[in-house]
Amino acid sequence: MALLAAAFFLPLFPLSMALNAVLRRLRNPAARAVLLLLWPQLGVLSLQMAPHAPPQYFLPWALLTSGLYALRLLTVRDMDLWAGFLATSALALTWALAVGGADPADLHLFAFWLSAPPALAALLAGSLTSRFGAAYAGLQGGLIGSLPRLSGALTMTVLAAVATPPFSGFFALLRLLNTLDWMAALGVLTIWLLWGWAATCLLQGFIFGAARPVAHADIGWTPTLALAGLLGLFAAAGLYLTGGGL
Amino acid sequence: MDKLTILLPATPLLSAVLITLLAGRSRRLVARLSVGFAGLAFLLAAASLALYLAQGQPYWTSFGPGWGSLYLDPLASVMALMVAGISLVVHVYAVRYMAEEAGYARFYVLLDLMAAAILLMVAAGDLVTLLVAWHLVGVVLYFLLGHDAARPAAQRYAFWTFFTYRLGDLPLILAAILLYQAYGTTSLPALFERIAADPGAHEVLGLPLATAVAFLIAFAAFARSAQFPLHTWLPYTMEGPTPVSALMHAGIVNAGGFIINRFAPVFVHAGEVLHLVFAVGLATAILGSVLMLMQNDIKKSLGYSTMGQMGFMFVEAGVGAFSLAIYHLIAHGLFKGTLFLGAGGVISNARKQDGVPHDDVYTFVVERRPAVYRLPWVVAATLTVVVPLVLLGASHWMVDEDFVGRQGAIILLFFGWVTGAQLLFVTYRLRAGSPWRLMAMIILSLVVVVAGYTWVGHAFDLFLYPDRAFSDRIYAAASIPLGTFEVLAALLTAAVVGGWLAAYYATANGGSRGGRASPLRLALYSLLSREFYMADVYARLTQAVTSASRQLNLWLRWA
Repeated sequence: MALLAAAFFLPLFPLSMALNAVLRRLRNPAARAVLLLLWPQLGVLSLQMAPHAPPQYFLPWALLTSGLYALRLLTVRDMDLWAGFLATSALALTWALAVGGADPADLHLFAFWLSAPPALAALLAGSLTSRFGAAYAGLQGGLIGSLPRLSGALTMTVLAAVATPPFSGFFALLRLLNTLDWMAALGVLTIWLLWGWAATCLLQGFIFGAARPVAHADIGWTPTLALAGLLGLFAAAGLYLTGGGL
Repeated sequence: MDKLTILLPATPLLSAVLITLLAGRSRRLVARLSVGFAGLAFLLAAASLALYLAQGQPYWTSFGPGWGSLYLDPLASVMALMVAGISLVVHVYAVRYMAEEAGYARFYVLLDLMAAAILLMVAAGDLVTLLVAWHLVGVVLYFLLGHDAARPAAQRYAFWTFFTYRLGDLPLILAAILLYQAYGTTSLPALFERIAADPGAHEVLGLPLATAVAFLIAFAAFARSAQFPLHTWLPYTMEGPTPVSALMHAGIVNAGGFIINRFAPVFVHAGEVLHLVFAVGLATAILGSVLMLMQNDIKKSLGYSTMGQMGFMFVEAGVGAFSLAIYHLIAHGLFKGTLFLGAGGVISNARKQDGVPHDDVYTFVVERRPAVYRLPWVVAATLTVVVPLVLLGASHWMVDEDFVGRQGAIILLFFGWVTGAQLLFVTYRLRAGSPWRLMAMIILSLVVVVAGYTWVGHAFDLFLYPDRAFSDRIYAAASIPLGTFEVLAALLTAAVVGGWLAAYYATANGGSRGGRASPLRLALYSLLSREFYMADVYARLTQAVTSASRQLNLWLRWA
């Protein structure tokens, strides 16, 4: 029962559809961000309550779920949906670490490193929606020319979300790969490749393209610096807590 | 030394941070700041090389338990100087070239970040720092190539480059993890010591660990240095700004040669992988050179030329001449950077004067220039075969007697001979008032180039690999059985010499310029002009994957 609850919160397909359905129903970006942060932590708590470690068959199940959502991410244009799919794909990998016998503190941190950037992306999606009516890639391209600060924040968040160094996700994935065998490691690397591909598709729809006149103001310096500080803190905390090594 | 080592990648990084904070200020200030820091980075790189030469010992320093270490050995010092030098030139060139472009400050931020990432990559002292820098180079390059946000073509090819680079990142990550699992350290000097002490202790999927790791590193190098069939992104990087093209072709694309040299202690135990590197390099060199000759656009032609040169660099690594590959990449970086930065001027001049020579009769009757001749074909053919062979053999024998005894050296001499002979062949095709004088001048310049190349190459070998026994072991690892080698060498020589003689004879008899091309030639032309349809195959694969993604999303109702 505890494992089933864990499969619900550390989303494994088809239970993962619940997380994305709830995310779609929530209208408030802050609520979405909080949900993305708390949901996986509940999953790790459920895992801790399980009487024994997850059986080995959870590993292929987790990799298939992660791969499925990574593949689906390639054609998602809505940024809210994108953040949800990426979080689903990333958080499913927590199982790979759990099957390897990682301790609960490591699992909590791993889930946090991979859910925090999608939560930030959900917040930025709110910022885009309030300006353009929807956070849809391709709807209003060329933001790098018209809204440079928002574009910069968006770019850094998306890079952090797809585990680009020096953000914590990169080191978390390195540690995960170190615990896996050849085949599983190849699977995780393929999923990582798909994330990178999906990130470029999303960025090309938002920040690149011909600049169009925008009636809305860019985000202010204070939120920009706050977001930059948050991402910097996230990277620094990740380096400190993961040790940056393998 | 500590501070110098840290400052090397930190200087351009600091410049990027300062420019970001000063983004609203004048363009002049941004450019001055960035160029100033680039100049400082160059001075620091020169100082670190000078310090190494003075102390004669590699230097390793760490700033954290798991990663963040830097390693200044001969390879890192030389590469850092080259990268900082090219970066400085590109910075200065971009001051005026990019002056009218949007996103001036952003361009300099990205240029500085790129310089920092490459300097960190060449000076990385552990596996994790190397992975971080290797990964970041691809990410920053994506944004640099897509700098002109309004051009769809720039975005498309920036994506191609990014995707190929990511494809190359992943095997390197796997290689790093395998090495760490087997030897329990991420520090490069410690790792290389442990590999040297116990190279055959570990296996992966039934293969020796060194072979598996070397294969993964070679794959990463193929992707980064545009080796066939992972080459399709390189010629199209011209869609980015010209300074980026120069930096790309003069510096970034050389990373493949660097990484193979960095992991030389692994490759020395993986002769089979060196043979693969040789084969892939040879195929790329031939294809890149042929495609270069087929272009009618100077920048695209330069792009394919880079592909060919990268192929030659891998051929050198594949025969065991690792230091020569580094010398080649530095020499290529300098001349290709110059060509790219000068390409704009050439195009501008060509618009005023096409440079196509007039007909012989016109120049003789109207311009009253003396009649032009060429050497008898038998004489030219004899010179073609004999002169480069004597020159290369003599210069190598004078530098290092043992050198000509190595298989790899014989292959390199063979390539040198072919290249020199091609030069003489081109000379034969040129008509001149005094063909003997022209030939003498060409032979003289060939002597200067060959002697310089041999001596500098030899000095470079001594500098990068002072342990001669290690250098010999790399050559030995790259060798193949003597009988097979001799048969292959004889067949290749016969094919090349036969081809030259046929070409000379055909040219001497006026050639076959008229008439229709045969279907075989047309098929070959279309195959080559479409680069064996590799780009089309990738496009189809991409479409298939995105189509599957779309279909899955529809079936699962986007949840």
